[in-house]
Amino acid sequence: MSAAQILFGLMSFIALASAVYVAASNNLVRSVFMFFVTLFALAGLYVLALADFVAVTQIVIYVGGILVLILFVFMLSGRETLEAMQHQPKRLWKLANLPAFLICALLLIVLFNLFMNTNADALPWIKQAVHNNDVIKAENTMTENIGINLMTRYLLPFEVISILLLMALAGAAHLSRKEAGA
Amino acid sequence: MANYILYIVIAVGLFAFAALFALFAVYAERKVSAFIQDRIGPNETGKYGTLQTLADILKLLQKEVINPTAVDRWLYGAAPAIIFIAVYMGYAALPWGPGLVPSKINIGLYYIFAIISVETLGILMAGWGSNNKFSVLGAIRSVAQIISYEIPAGFALISAVVIAGSLDLQQVALQQGVLFHSRMKFLGFWDVTKIGGLFSWNIFQAPHLMVAFVIYFIASLAESNRAPFDIPEAESELVAGFHTEYTGMRFGLVFLAEYSMMFLVSMIGVILFLGAWNTPLPNIGGFALADWTTGTAWGILWIVLKALVLVAVQIWIRWTLPRLRVDQLTDLCWKVLTPLSFICMLISAVWRVWVM
Repeated sequence: MSAAQILFGLMSFIALASAVYVAASNNLVRSVFMFFVTLFALAGLYVLALADFVAVTQIVIYVGGILVLILFVFMLSGRETLEAMQHQPKRLWKLANLPAFLICALLLIVLFNLFMNTNADALPWIKQAVHNNDVIKAENTMTENIGINLMTRYLLPFEVISILLLMALAGAAHLSRKEAGA
Repeated sequence: MANYILYIVIAVGLFAFAALFALFAVYAERKVSAFIQDRIGPNETGKYGTLQTLADILKLLQKEVINPTAVDRWLYGAAPAIIFIAVYMGYAALPWGPGLVPSKINIGLYYIFAIISVETLGILMAGWGSNNKFSVLGAIRSVAQIISYEIPAGFALISAVVIAGSLDLQQVALQQGVLFHSRMKFLGFWDVTKIGGLFSWNIFQAPHLMVAFVIYFIASLAESNRAPFDIPEAESELVAGFHTEYTGMRFGLVFLAEYSMMFLVSMIGVILFLGAWNTPLPNIGGFALADWTTGTAWGILWIVLKALVLVAVQIWIRWTLPRLRVDQLTDLCWKVLTPLSFICMLISAVWRVWVM
């Protein structure tokens, strides 16, 4: 087994185990911190896939931004609310959970089907890419590639996203503004 | 196999450097503060008190690690380690000299920026895990401050990155000295490719970067929770902020992280604005001072010297300026630094296209 395979196994295990903890834990704040471990392990997997830029972006956005925001919400909300949330009845088998079970089961079936029907070692498009030498190697620099693609091929989605973010910013500024006369 | 041993040696070396630096920086801080406040400072332990911080570390090592009953044991225990490791991992991408960098990654700056933001999570863990209102208040203040000051800092850095055209810190460093063979211009009009030295540093290649550097420096003070931005630890209000409950070596780790952070942000400032490991001495006619003072050993010397000067300025500022109030702090960030850094970024883009 090569070092990459060992690392892959290790990081997938960490990601899965911490994800299970996040979902199963009773302590909400702890599970948020455990979510951080999940995200970090995922970032490691991205690095293994030679997507280091994506990995770092994942850390910037999720760890530096979203997780900290979630934690802020926890810290600013009262203890009673948190207690009530932590002591909900924990019965698994009840009618209200049926949609969730259905979705999980369907997703599992789809995944299983996919896994059985694809021959991951001999996908035609991968073979084609290898044949055309259209692959990323460890020593390639990805930043230029991403920059050029964002400014040429994916310019429209890029601009649409920036307009969406601008709208969110304007909305936030509007909501937090003091009402005149209030 | 030899490779892996080398990696471990380098990692341990960086850690030893961070620890040694913290040791001397604490001593320097106490002496400088004493000088500024017209005191003598530590003078009993060793000649001129030089062994004072060593004695302090020994004391910290021996102290009992106390777990208060009501703390969340996991979060409380892990927080100092996460705070320190986040800063320490940033050291991995710093270039020290020509061709001398622990990890050569082409997204070096972005990586450092990302890994530093993990520190905020550690601070939140410490604050919440301590189960103490002073700690939580300190943590919230600290995180609010770090996150808002990341924006001007980030844009100031981006304006330098636009000029350099690379996120690889080694590449950024290379472009500011005689080893770089493409054209470099002092203030955009005087070709200094062969002259190098001070004139080819980024802040002199593009003068608006001086503003960007000041913005970055102010923001970096806030990011390392140093005065005048130390409301997270405001002694008069919050005891000691997020690390109120910590004792012994856990407290030591928090402190180590603060001093490592000071050095890290100074290094980033030096690399992006002040010529990294390039010499300040230019070639003057026959006196090829820049060529003579460029090399691996010289590079380490210059970069460490420059970073230490910045650290000294940080210490000087801490003991000179009073603490900012929280509304002044956010005003400064959002109404002054952020617009200015946006303007810097715009000028950078124009400069890159039309002047360079």
